[in-house]
Amino acid sequence: MTLRRCTKSVDGTIPIPALLYNDEELLSSQDGVGIYDGIQKSPNHQLGTIHVTTHRLFYISTQHEATYSFALDLSCVSQTDHYAGLFKSSAKVTLYISVPFSASGDAGSNDGPDTPFESWECQVCGYRNPPGLSPAAARVCGLCGISRDSVPAPPAASSSPPLSSSLPASSSLPSLHPPWNSPRTHQRQPSAIACPACTFLNHPSLRSCEICATDLPLVPALVVMKSAPSSRPASPDPSDDDDVTASRIIKISFRKGGDKAFYGVLRTALKSKAWTVGVGSNTPASGEAAAGDSSRSGITGILRNVESSAQGRATDMTDAFQDLEALRIKARDMVRFAAELNERLTASSTTAASALSLSDDALIPSTEPEEATFIRSSLSQLGLEMSNTPVTLDMMKDERRWIEQLARELASVLQGSSSSRDTRGMMKERGIIALDEVWGGWNRARGVALLPPTTLLQVIPHLGACTTPTISMRTFPSGLSVLHTPPYSHVAFAARLSGLLALSGPKTTTEIAREEHVTVGLAAEMIGAVEADGDICRDDEACAIQGGGAEVRFWGNIFHGSVWDGQPITNDV
Amino acid sequence: MSFSTFTTPTGFLLPSVHSAPPFFTQQPHPGTNVTVTERWTTLILAYARHRKLFVLRVEDAETTDTEWLEVLRNERINRKLLPSYLSSIIATMVSKNLATYDPPGQTRSALLYWRLPEEWAEVLHGWAISTGQLNTILTFYEITDPPIPSPLSNIPITLLRKAIAVLAKTGRSQLITISDGEGVRLFQGTGK
Repeated sequence: MTLRRCTKSVDGTIPIPALLYNDEELLSSQDGVGIYDGIQKSPNHQLGTIHVTTHRLFYISTQHEATYSFALDLSCVSQTDHYAGLFKSSAKVTLYISVPFSASGDAGSNDGPDTPFESWECQVCGYRNPPGLSPAAARVCGLCGISRDSVPAPPAASSSPPLSSSLPASSSLPSLHPPWNSPRTHQRQPSAIACPACTFLNHPSLRSCEICATDLPLVPALVVMKSAPSSRPASPDPSDDDDVTASRIIKISFRKGGDKAFYGVLRTALKSKAWTVGVGSNTPASGEAAAGDSSRSGITGILRNVESSAQGRATDMTDAFQDLEALRIKARDMVRFAAELNERLTASSTTAASALSLSDDALIPSTEPEEATFIRSSLSQLGLEMSNTPVTLDMMKDERRWIEQLARELASVLQGSSSSRDTRGMMKERGIIALDEVWGGWNRARGVALLPPTTLLQVIPHLGACTTPTISMRTFPSGLSVLHTPPYSHVAFAARLSGLLALSGPKTTTEIAREEHVTVGLAAEMIGAVEADGDICRDDEACAIQGGGAEVRFWGNIFHGSVWDGQPITNDV
Repeated sequence: MSFSTFTTPTGFLLPSVHSAPPFFTQQPHPGTNVTVTERWTTLILAYARHRKLFVLRVEDAETTDTEWLEVLRNERINRKLLPSYLSSIIATMVSKNLATYDPPGQTRSALLYWRLPEEWAEVLHGWAISTGQLNTILTFYEITDPPIPSPLSNIPITLLRKAIAVLAKTGRSQLITISDGEGVRLFQGTGK
């Protein structure tokens, strides 16, 4: 019974192009097809031609064009399937019908002339919309774009109770052929409407009383009463009840082939959703229909859910990034402002103290006024302490001075600046530190305007001049580069290591690392350098007779200067 | 870190360095490695002379039933010489003409020259004179396994040939091929 409920009969004697809406287009045709209603053959639709348009599917019966031809809206097709055919079974295309089209029972009944083929006047701009548009397009005024049913229609509400309330889609359907529409066009001329409250005779096109604003009774509503039976749902079909849950499918059987091409065209038509075009201002009704759509179960429903949630997430993300961007711009302003403030403070304090060094922030303390100190401390609490202001190239005039300034900054990062009381440099505790850590720490301290490693390498040669004790760079044979203080220079370490080994016996790398407060990897590098000098030698546990791991113990060079004290070598026999 | 010498059950006095664990490790530093390898060379040759050992194999560092056991291992400090290091020591000795690979063409086994072939030649000549066997034909067997033990007892044939070849250059020996092997005749020496 799906067939009867979802389709509208058309007069097949009319050529197809004449049946189309103005905005509809014929895409493909195939003759020699039969129709299955559900899973059974529909006896009256076994030989005909199928036409697919952007909006509808037409079946034109070959023998009884006038009686058994029908049209099916593509909008109610939720899913399609293609079956290639096997032996005598011909290829079929299955259409799954989603929208319960019960209200169109009247359309299906021989109501003949369809409402869409009728002109209507826009409630808002008064433009007379020409007939012949597809239902969706016809719902919107062609001139002002206002939806036809966005204007409240109380009579529709008053006359709707008879319509089955269990079918949500039905509320959207009256708009296709509103019950008050057709009668009213006939009733237009006659008379004015008397207000039920004040009895003022209002113009028939008014919805509420011009004087007291009382809702006017809709005259046509009375008239409708007579024609009502025709617009009421047809008496329920006996087989309707059990059919609600049954699969609503229509099959098209291609007896003469052409199924593949047709199926392709059908799918593109379904995908392009031409029938939704034009309903830009979504009416609540169509929104409801969409809600009904999304609650659909099955893979399509899940996919749609996933899609919509992904879309939502993407939107959220974009929003968040925009926020972040804005924050960044704000932060830059903030930093700049703080820098300006600080510069001004420094300038005033330096002029006051007629400082010796020009750019050193270290000189602020005593002469500074109370509020300047306050501002400074606030700034530092905000993490904008200006003794840590990153030096950027645009602050400096030439590159050489920039590098020098950077060296000074790096020195303060490494050794702690003398002005700040509690900040400790990275090398305060440690005498040796790998270059990658220096780079990372420096950039973390800068926070903004990060520097590339190449700049770090440029800066390091200048570091010695800015640091006490002098920090210098050293590259191990493995390629590892470190910054170190004098006690960790090669010579000093070699001497210390030899002393340690002589004093407390052989040591493993780990023990030496612990002794020296450096990482094991670093200790291994340093020991390797000493060993390369031949000052120490190793005892590999791999040479053990029993047990033995891979651990290596380092010894002082015991072979150095040792003499043969074994069996005396005699040449006699 | 003072190490003491040790006398093995065979009466060999091991040097103090033999009880230092690093002695058994191949040192990565080239200079140190040369020093340690030199020590090993001296030790090996001294021990070979002491025990009259002529052949040193890389396998000697892998097994425990070898005459070299008390040199290549030091149970007291739980250290042994690794075959890889022994192999490199042998290679160094060969390059310094203190040993030769025997048989030639491989590097697993070497003949030790705790006496050089020239020295062996003199020993052979001296032995022949002292035992009055000049001008007589001697088989190799008679030299390597004489009734009265001599310095030449158990000398490998390869080494003996080299010694004979050295004597032949100065006209003091003549290699004779006889029916069931080879023999040598030693002379007083004209060139001397």
